[in-house]
Order: sequence, then structure tokens, then C-alpha cells
Amino acid sequence: MLSPKAEQLIHDYFHLPFPGVTGVRCPYFNNVRSHRRAQLRALIGKGLPQEIVDEAKIVSIQYGAGVFDHQGHCCLCDEHASECPGSITIRHFLIDHNLGVDCSGFINHVLRAHFKETKGIDLAKKFVANIDASWPRKLIMRLRPIENLGVRSALANDKNTEKIGDEKTGYDFSKIRPADLVIMLETGPQNKRSHVLLITDCDGQTIKYVHSRAWSGEGQYGHGVNGGEIRITKPSGGLLEQEWEEKIPPQQENLFDIGVLPQNETLLEAKQAKILEIRRVKI
Amino acid sequence: MDFCGPFSIELLQKALLYLIAATVGAFLWAPLLTRFLYKYNLTRRSDYDFTLRDGERSKKVGTPIMGGLLVIITVTVITLLFNWERKYTYVPMGVMGIAALLGAADDVLNIFGKKRRDRRISQQINLIKVHKLWRTKLWYAFTLPWTIFRRLVSCFGSHPGRGIQVHEKLSLQFLAGAVTAWWIYFKLSPYWHSLRVPFDGQFNVGWWIIPIVILFVMFTANAVNIADGLDGLAGGSLIVTFAGLTLISWAEGRPAFTLLNATVFGALIAYTYFNVKPARFQMGDVGSLGLGALLAINTVAINHTLLIPILGFIFYVEAVTVVLQVLARRIFGRRLFKMSPLHHHFEFLGWNEEKIVMRFWLIHGFAVIVAVWLALH
Repeated sequence: MLSPKAEQLIHDYFHLPFPGVTGVRCPYFNNVRSHRRAQLRALIGKGLPQEIVDEAKIVSIQYGAGVFDHQGHCCLCDEHASECPGSITIRHFLIDHNLGVDCSGFINHVLRAHFKETKGIDLAKKFVANIDASWPRKLIMRLRPIENLGVRSALANDKNTEKIGDEKTGYDFSKIRPADLVIMLETGPQNKRSHVLLITDCDGQTIKYVHSRAWSGEGQYGHGVNGGEIRITKPSGGLLEQEWEEKIPPQQENLFDIGVLPQNETLLEAKQAKILEIRRVKI
Repeated sequence: MDFCGPFSIELLQKALLYLIAATVGAFLWAPLLTRFLYKYNLTRRSDYDFTLRDGERSKKVGTPIMGGLLVIITVTVITLLFNWERKYTYVPMGVMGIAALLGAADDVLNIFGKKRRDRRISQQINLIKVHKLWRTKLWYAFTLPWTIFRRLVSCFGSHPGRGIQVHEKLSLQFLAGAVTAWWIYFKLSPYWHSLRVPFDGQFNVGWWIIPIVILFVMFTANAVNIADGLDGLAGGSLIVTFAGLTLISWAEGRPAFTLLNATVFGALIAYTYFNVKPARFQMGDVGSLGLGALLAINTVAINHTLLIPILGFIFYVEAVTVVLQVLARRIFGRRLFKMSPLHHHFEFLGWNEEKIVMRFWLIHGFAVIVAVWLALH
């Protein structure tokens, strides 16, 4: 199991801590397209849940969006209703204002919390120290570690993580532990992206994982942090030969029912990856 | 009359007369100014000022800006007519004029100007590489340092680029500061080449007085500009500051500055009367930049440069919060305050405007009392 603080952090990403509002799943946001530089980390897909919540409140008040008031309470809540009906509106608001987290931001925060609690080390600083870069970039990395840790540069870096297995050499599924990573390099239709899944539990039969992703079939407002599991049906086979199942996020059941989301795009991404491997953080 | 005795009753009587004249004069022509500002539609708009999009603040849309003209023009007229001394009031009025003109241009362009193109450094470097005309290439290469300067300082600005841009503002403020420094260093006696340290006498800094003065003039002008965000905040705080300056210059027997500070004090009373919530008009950059520069230069001129941060305490606190917020945002990727300057942070916490303004006035008033006490030692 991951440490309690890491588990709590994952829970917070799945249920962003807006006071009085439940069920707001953190959306996916990647800064590659907007290319914001030297910005708040909540605005470049690297924020903690509380930072994303605070920024949402500030943006709402600043631009008079009417979603949150000056006390930070949701303006859409009905005081007579037990649950706020505004969770979908808030999620749309977050997405419209580029508030969310990308795959490496999410996993780096969770890993950092896990290793800080279990080993007493700041993983982000350790990762940064092992990345080769010019001294100005190194200085920036030390000041803003999480923002500068990508999948390829940090999580798939041999100095930071070691390979447990890949599609060629095979895997010993009984040795996989929580906090291991499923790394997908050069994936996507044009083999230009990288993606990472964080393993939260593994009993030799099932690998449970979480990640932050945006499936093409989910449209503008469906993406975000999500979980899933890989059922080990062929222990001698590779990851791609196992059964992959992605959890259906709340409010999206109908998309699967009507066939808008016919396939597991996480598995598709794993298939498209030129490099697919499981790695473990070196301590 | 260069100097007269300290605590001169005659000077005090004269200063009070200037104060009364400035107050009454400003009150008399304030309706004309209001009519002028409405006639030419010099009012706040929400299309360039995002702070007006919030519910409570949206009521400020349509309020005239450039109300600072009331103080600037009243002070200029009274000083030109009755307190014009080439050695003493000539340069402070000139510097205030430069800063006020800069502010006026910014105010007008913010309303009527067009959004300006802001070329990136990488774009300019690409143009140097690919442009087919060598003259144009040379021009782009020659102006590259200016582009780098513009891009670097643009991170401190929040306006979307209609008015005067940050790099232009800083350059013109540098000019105002340089004029002050030239006057202090070359035109006044060597006494002004030293900084007066409370309890410790004079500390000679030689030519270093030039960058020190430029820095103080630029920073103070911007600080007052930044603090002018709530109804009555900048006006009320400036009243206290100029009251303190009047007191110090009277106590030290400097007639020209006693009368100048008293005139500003009086004009500010009339201005703040119309500026308290709900404001009849707002100061605008014309007033805040002009009076900020005047605050700095008048303090430097009575040789209390080191007391500027205490005499302009609330302005400095507001400006420092902006600098800290920008640094925290750019360097660490986090907010230090919910919003900067500090008064917006308290607005986000749910304090109402009156509460923030009253408390800031009180804190500022106390700081000015401390500054006066230090100045008399």
C-alpha cells in the first residue's frame, strides 16, 4: 500500500477539496500547447489539489464568474440540499480556465508524499539532482522541482528509477510493489508523447493503478485523474497480453453505454508505446 | 527666504493660509473638473480593468478617473503664483509635472488607446536571421536589447497593453528621478550629498546619492500608483504623509517646502472629500504618479531620504507585496497572497472596502507619527 498521506493525496485529486462540494474530479491539463512559462504551478498542470482549489476560487472572484464567493464557498450550492449540484459546473469551470494536472505532475506529487512519509526523503529534489542540465536550468529545477520533472527526463531516467521488466524481457508480476511505475515512452498516434501510471496495489493477480489522462473519446470535459486495473491472466506474458480495465468515472457511464468510448485508450496508448516498461524508484 | 528659525509662528501662519487657500480653491473648481471628466468620458471601463468584473467592484465602472488633476493643478497654480523659488520649488514642480504627464498619458491611452503589439525576443531574433533587407536586420539587431528589457519588465505589469507599457513607464520615471538627482547633486549644496540618519547625524554617500535618489523617486511614484486601488486609500494616506512633511519642514525652518507641502495637504483634503466611497472621481495615474514623485522629492529635499519608506509606509507595503507576489509566482510557482497589492488580498478575505481603507489609514497615520518623531532626532 502507499503511505496514508499519498493515499489521501490521491483521494484529494479524485475529490478536490472544495468546501461543501463533493465529487469534483481533478481534470487533466498539459501545458505543452499553452506553453506558459514561469507561471503558477496550478496553472501549468503541476499543482496540488489545494492549490488548484485556491486558484479556482481566485479566478472565479477575479473575473466575476460567480462560481465562488469571497469566503470561498460555492455560489451554486443550495443551502437546503444535502449535496451541491454544482460539481459538474465547477469541473467545466476548471477545464475552461486550464486548471488541472498532467500525468507526471500528479504522480510526482503522490510519489513525493509517499517517500517523504516512508523514507523521509524529498524525492523531487533527489530526481532533479540526477537530471543533466545546464547550470541555469539546474537552478530553476532546484527552485521548482515538480514543474521540471517529466516522464522521460525524471521517471524513466536510469539514475532515478530502475527497470523491473519490459515487454521483451517479461515481468515477474509477483515482485511488483505499490509506488512502481508503468512507463510508456514515444506513444500516441505519432509516437511523440510519454505517459506514466502509478501502481497503487499489486497482489500478483491484479495491478491497480492511477493516472491523469485525457482520452480522445471523452471530449472537452471528460478527462481527468482516473484509476484502473490490469488483471494478470497470463503470468508469463507481457503487460499488453493482460486484461486492462479502466474505471468509468462518475457522470460518464452513459458515454460507455452509448458506445462513445468503445475502447480502453490507456491500453491503446500502451500498445502504441515504443517503450513500455515497469520501473521502480531507486532509493 | 532660504531658511528661517525652526518652529516659526510666522511660517506656520503662512503655511496654514496656503493650506486653506488650496482646500478652498480645489473645492471651488472640483465641479468643473467632474463635468470635464464626464464630458470627455474619462471614466473607468471594465474592458481593460479586470478588477472591475467582480460583483461589488463592478459598481465602480463609469466613475471618472484623472481626479488627481484636482491636486496637481491646484498645487501648480498656487506654487507658480505665490511660492515660486528657482532654487527650491522649481525642480519639485518640474518632476511632479513630468510624472503627472506620464500618468495622464497612461490614463488617456488606457481608455482611448489601441492594444499594442508585443513582439517576443525569439520572434525578433528570428527576424534578424531571416529578414531579407540588411537595414531592417540591422535595426532589429540594434533594438534587441530594448526588446529584452521590455519583455523582462513586462512580467511586473498587469495591464493588457493599451496604456503606456511598463518599460516605457520605468524609462520616463528614471528620467524624472535623474532630474531630481541632478538637482540634488549639482545644484544644491554639498550638505545634500549626505544622508541624514536619525540619532546619528549625517552619513556622507558622495555621488551614490544619485542612484539612491533615482531609486527612491521611481519606487515611491510607483508605490503610490499601486496603492490607488480603493476609494479614499491613496488620498487619505497622502494627506497624512504631506501633513507629516509639512510638520517636519516647518520644524526645521524650511519655508519653501513648508508652504509647498501645506498646499498639497490642503488640495488633498478637497480631493479626498470627493474620493471617499462611493467616489465622485478617482485619482488615476496622473495624480498617483505625480504625487508619489513629489512625496519622494520633497522628502529628499529636506534631507530625510531614509525616512521615505516610513513616511510612505502603506504605499511601500503595497508595492513590496506586489514585488514579493511576482517573485514568488515566477520563482516558486506559488502565490504569497491571494492577490496583490495587499488591499486586494484583504478584499479576497472578505473585508469590505471601508474596513480596509480605515485600517490602512490608521496604520499609515501611526507610521507617519513615528517618521516625524525620528525626523526630529
